[in-house]
Amino acid sequence: MNKYSIGLIAFVILIACDSSDGGLFKNPSPEDTGLEFVNSLNEKEDLNILDYLYFYNGGGVAIGDINGDELPDIYLSGNQVKNKLYLNKGNLQFEDITEKAGVAGNSTWNTGAVMGDVNGDGWLDIYVCAVVGINGFNGYNELFINNGDTTFSERSAEFGLDFDTYSSSAAFLDYDLDGDLDLYLLNHAVHTQESFGKADLRFKRNFQTGDKLLRNEGGSFKDVSEEAGIYGGVNGYGLGVAVSDFNQDGFPDLYIGNDFHEDDYYYLNNGDGTFKECLKEYFGHTTRFSMGNDVSDINHDGWPDIISLDMLPEDEKALKSSEGDDDIQTQKLRVDLFNYHYQFTRNMLYLNAGGRHFTETALQSGVAATDWSWSALFADYDQDGEQDIFVANGIPKRPNDLDYIKFISNEQIQKKINNTRLVDQQALDMMPSGAVNNYYFSGSPEGGFINNSGSYIKRDTLISGATAIGDLDNDGDLDMVTNNINSPVSLYINKTDDSANYLKLKFDYRLPNKIGVGTKVFSYHNGTLQYKELYTVRGFQASSQPMVHFGYGKVSKVDSLRIVWPDKTSQLLTDIQVNQTLTISPDQPQPFNYESIRSTGDRIFNKIEGALGIDFTHTEDNYIDFNRQKLIPYKISDRGPGTAVGDLNGDGKEDIYFGGSRSKPSQVYFQISNGFERRPVEEISADSIKEVVVAAIGDFDGNSENDLIVGIGGGDFFDGMNQQLNSYFLQKQGRFVQSNIPESFHNTAVIKPFDFDNDGDLDVFVGNQSISNDFGNVPTSFLMENRSGEFYVVDNNQLNKAGMVTDAVWEDFNRDGKPDLVVVGEWMAPKFFKNEKGKLKEVSLFDQELNGLWQSIEVFDIDNDGDKDFIVGNWGNNSKFTASEKQPLRMYYSDFDDNGSTETIVALARGKKYYPIEGLDGLAGQMVDLKKQFTQYKDFAGKSIEEIFDRKMLAKAKLWEVHELRSGYLINQNGYFEFKPFSNDLQLAPITDFLVFDFDSDGFDEVLAGGNYFGVKPYHGRFDSFAGALIKNKDDIVTGGELGLDFIQKSVRHLNIISMNGRPCLLVTFNNDKAQLYELTKHK
Amino acid sequence: MTVMKYVLGLMALMVFTACSKQQSPIEVSTEDYHKSVDKVTEIMIHDIFSPPVASRIYAYPNIAAYEILAQQNNEYISLAGQVEGLTSIPEAGASDINYPLAALIAYMDVSRRLIFSEESMTIYRDSLYQQWTNTNETEFMASKEYALKVAEHIAAWMDGDNYKQTRTMPKFTVDIEDPSRWQPTPPAYMDGIEPHWNKIRPFVIDSAEQFRPTPPPPFSMAEDSDFYKELKEVYDISQKITAEGDESEEIAIAQFWDCNPYVSVTRGHLMFATKKITPGAHWIGIVKIACRQNKSDFNHMVYAYTKTSIAIADAFISCWDEKYRSSLIRPETLINEHIDENWKPVLQTPPFPEYTSGHSVVSGAASTALTSIFGADFAFADDTELPYGLPVRNFDSFNQAANEAAISRMYGGIHYRKAVDIGLQQGRSLGQFVLENLSMVKDENLTFN
Repeated sequence: MNKYSIGLIAFVILIACDSSDGGLFKNPSPEDTGLEFVNSLNEKEDLNILDYLYFYNGGGVAIGDINGDELPDIYLSGNQVKNKLYLNKGNLQFEDITEKAGVAGNSTWNTGAVMGDVNGDGWLDIYVCAVVGINGFNGYNELFINNGDTTFSERSAEFGLDFDTYSSSAAFLDYDLDGDLDLYLLNHAVHTQESFGKADLRFKRNFQTGDKLLRNEGGSFKDVSEEAGIYGGVNGYGLGVAVSDFNQDGFPDLYIGNDFHEDDYYYLNNGDGTFKECLKEYFGHTTRFSMGNDVSDINHDGWPDIISLDMLPEDEKALKSSEGDDDIQTQKLRVDLFNYHYQFTRNMLYLNAGGRHFTETALQSGVAATDWSWSALFADYDQDGEQDIFVANGIPKRPNDLDYIKFISNEQIQKKINNTRLVDQQALDMMPSGAVNNYYFSGSPEGGFINNSGSYIKRDTLISGATAIGDLDNDGDLDMVTNNINSPVSLYINKTDDSANYLKLKFDYRLPNKIGVGTKVFSYHNGTLQYKELYTVRGFQASSQPMVHFGYGKVSKVDSLRIVWPDKTSQLLTDIQVNQTLTISPDQPQPFNYESIRSTGDRIFNKIEGALGIDFTHTEDNYIDFNRQKLIPYKISDRGPGTAVGDLNGDGKEDIYFGGSRSKPSQVYFQISNGFERRPVEEISADSIKEVVVAAIGDFDGNSENDLIVGIGGGDFFDGMNQQLNSYFLQKQGRFVQSNIPESFHNTAVIKPFDFDNDGDLDVFVGNQSISNDFGNVPTSFLMENRSGEFYVVDNNQLNKAGMVTDAVWEDFNRDGKPDLVVVGEWMAPKFFKNEKGKLKEVSLFDQELNGLWQSIEVFDIDNDGDKDFIVGNWGNNSKFTASEKQPLRMYYSDFDDNGSTETIVALARGKKYYPIEGLDGLAGQMVDLKKQFTQYKDFAGKSIEEIFDRKMLAKAKLWEVHELRSGYLINQNGYFEFKPFSNDLQLAPITDFLVFDFDSDGFDEVLAGGNYFGVKPYHGRFDSFAGALIKNKDDIVTGGELGLDFIQKSVRHLNIISMNGRPCLLVTFNNDKAQLYELTKHK
Repeated sequence: MTVMKYVLGLMALMVFTACSKQQSPIEVSTEDYHKSVDKVTEIMIHDIFSPPVASRIYAYPNIAAYEILAQQNNEYISLAGQVEGLTSIPEAGASDINYPLAALIAYMDVSRRLIFSEESMTIYRDSLYQQWTNTNETEFMASKEYALKVAEHIAAWMDGDNYKQTRTMPKFTVDIEDPSRWQPTPPAYMDGIEPHWNKIRPFVIDSAEQFRPTPPPPFSMAEDSDFYKELKEVYDISQKITAEGDESEEIAIAQFWDCNPYVSVTRGHLMFATKKITPGAHWIGIVKIACRQNKSDFNHMVYAYTKTSIAIADAFISCWDEKYRSSLIRPETLINEHIDENWKPVLQTPPFPEYTSGHSVVSGAASTALTSIFGADFAFADDTELPYGLPVRNFDSFNQAANEAAISRMYGGIHYRKAVDIGLQQGRSLGQFVLENLSMVKDENLTFN
């Protein structure tokens, strides 16, 4: 195709987009509707993004019926323009009644605008936030009390709400359940950002920047922040506020999104007028530049889920020319030294796991990257029964553009800023535009979201911010209004009409909360639950029409609606016809028992506090792989500790060996009558310099005393240093003696003893995962034959070159009576080695492309058909890696810069091309010549791997590939195998170990899976959300904390059963955390 | 129209031929060389080279130029065999080589290899090439051919200095458990730069640790400890001079000698950098001032640049060796932690360990080299920082300037006193060693040793 035709096609597409509406929403023009509000923003020398960090945050929008005609009206606030109120006249005609209504406002710079019945008279009032006291901004937050005749009176002072602070927005909630609506005022910091400062800055209140909880005392509001436990520091860059009863106890809770390094706040309502902030406990990580957020139950479990927005670009060019994630050491400083939580630059989707914790799934769900995003609103826009997401985004100038930061800004603005602290238009114009299209994601029954941005909504180039939902044309489906910078507001009119069914619920609760803020609805149809709460302040600087809306697709009748009123009473409506608006008022409500919606499943596992004396905490050493091998895809140094269970003193009781990380001695816990006791075993603990990753106990020399083999890894020592060698301790008359074992300088991942040659002694497979300082090179794995307690390496080239091995299992997969070996590893497919007359020969037993980042394998009959299947733990799909058979993940391995040391370059497919994961600085940190090749970031950004490196260079590199990232099982079909992936809730994180046992004593084995992993750069985040899972069979998998397991935010390395006086216990060992012991509650 | 074009073309050709027949010798002035040095400085600022790397970019091109001049001029002695690993450059074959011209071309070519933004360099170079072609193509071509041969020779030598290997060596590992160990500092919290610079091949000194300074006072937060007193002194000075505000001479001094190539500024999501020359570049600027004031001829000027840039380069190697040996924490980190959480130094703390002060070591070495060339009482007006919005400062001697550069780091709140005092000593001893071990001038009257 030539350039001309491409140009032509682009032109045609452009025209096509311009002339037509989106598939789901149309955008009537302002001329047609009368909705002509424009938030015009004028940059001035003394007022621009340099002087005011939130110069581009935009105004607010509130939708609600202010005159009781059942037509929702629209209030819009502006930054440098006056606010406007538009009366909905029906037929999508709007009349500007600002003057008459008296709501234009008197503050210099308005932000959020929300509607709520502040004085409790049944009429919606308007509260407009303002930023006051910086940049010469005057005024205060204004409260326009509705007089009931389309006029309003500004009475903020009277109500004690006339704050002259740096307000972003405000949210209504009845936090003390006294019947009236209280207010959470969201303020933002303007801290200069020169240093992080410590997290405890949040404890010191600051009037201008600190958030405030304001209790409605009937006619006036009182600041109760301090006594209620609400933070109000100089560090709180509050941009997002969400109200919801997250833990379903009847009291509304709060999620506050803070921009920059300040953590988001998760306030659980204690029910006694106070809140407890407990973000770190419930969230493994959060958005970094938190902007707007929203809450809805998206997975039909009756628990409110959250989306929080950030600014990660989807577009390669924008991505690679913008400032990216923190360096790993900077993150460590921020977390370990300054006490902030883990934060990453992308949207986060937090699934509420029954109130126990939140599981973060934005990457898996496909909603992580929507660029510079302000507002997210969940709703069932297409009325198919699934929650969809609309994201409003865009920024006029990208101030985080790397060329701007490093090259352009200097010449242009340095002097001026230094001398005058002013910046001119010319300098601002150097920043690239971030006018990115708004996003629309369709929810799917499977749980993921499908990006329908270009089709359901028109692809725009607007700078859209605050957005509100309302049924503006009263046709039952949901319309939206976005407040845009320098363009008229956008009306999104929903065209679902009668193609799918709905219910619209309004409440006629009692004064002073007539619209029923805080009311919950559980809707059931065909066994499917949909759950909503009525909170009007949602998204960003906005409030939506007070109603609850459900979509039902083709379902014509709703089985029941359980209404739970704010006072914890409830009533049930049954057999409701769809496609109507119901106004529901309390009708003989009964007390509602919140316990009834909690999970009733009994816990199979019960954590034993104190772990019967096992007091082992694995402490990882400070080695950071990325400081040495800067481009490797993940760490290789954090795969320990090694754990082995077995009788080490011949008393018939099982003891525990825990290996230490580098320079930390291993520990042995001996089982005593009522628990465990740590006792020194000098010979073993003396070997402390080595980092233990895996261990095995067995009687290797046949003297009826158990011995110990220790597999060493850690990635730190290299080039044939002795600290890399595995260790072998033989027990002779109760004493351990270090003995010789074949040398292996590679990082060991698995040690699997088995009598493979059937001569009565234990032979050992040693699987190695990597070579220190040379990641990407194939380490040597091998089989050691036992001859009277001495090991000899069996010559086997196929096995030696198996790959980056992580786990293995001995199993007679061809049922010939001889043990075979199955090996898994990273950047390789599972490999089957058939035992052919005592020699292991690789055989091909499946015909899929199955290279994965496999972490674990176990034998299990998952389909109950009597033959043995294999379950295999992989990386999961909740990461930035993507892989498929057609578009595998790639890793190039070579000495790219010819300096004697090797590099790896990981590349992802996007469209038809491959792009390196690392940006220019990352790659040039290792290959400095790239800085000569690309002297500007924009030259590098958007370049594929082939365009960055020349073909010859790439051709000489070894190419590793991954086709499959999901965990699953290899199902046995007459000796041949087929891979089947598990469902998404088992793909949250790498699965690092399996354990087969009959945990629930039902006479059948189950498999317990554990995982999570943190050895990646901030680019990836943290894989912290996998709560474990019990796999009974392929269709019966129980996940999460329902089991009683405490795996969240911990990286499982080993699962072991240890027998205590005939009772089995579950021992769980973590990397860099304290080992846990569980009793099995169902054990008989 | 076509005819017209043809005619025009012909005329151009005629003019061109006419010109090239009138061959006058090419004159290369000292200002031409200064301009090229300035050009390289300008590109380095744009490309953001850290101070140690910048010192390497000054040394090699000047040596290339110097070696060419020493080929022809009996006053000056080749550095081959005097600086580590350098062998004699190829001899000039052709007779019509213009040596200053060849020196300048070699200077530009070696520089081009060292900087990132080659395009700015080649545009600059090509405009000169055009001018020289027009003046005397034969002389230019002969000189260029020779210059590029020498540049190639120097580049091959340069490639063996371990620079490439150090690019892939491990980054500095932060360990917050150790309270004395350097940590990244606000606002950018950048990684420690060039932790392996001591593995770069030195020019004259025997090894990176030859001028290993005495260790800094033992780390202690006890109020009567020497270390704590030093820390407190930095804080007290800073409080005193910031109270004086714009009138403060100390602040003026601190800012004059800031020489931070990348000061990052953050305003919310908006980030930018204010970029200045490095400490090495400042002293290279002083070389230019001295040469002009002294009315040095071309050869003497290149000699001055070369000697000074070698001293600076070795000073960085020596200083960086100590920086990552002691890995001492910066005042800003400790003051924020223990004394005043809102305190900010007058200057932005640069991203590497504290001890010893780079500017002190480098200023000590550079001023010693310059004193040997221009004398101990060489008064000058230093306008090097004018393009960066800073005033002219007057000095009675290079040594006085070095003293001020060193103490400026304390005023700036980025160094303790010992790093400055010991650093200056370290630089002066190193400079003296360079002088004693480099024999560059035959007529000893030309030096002030």
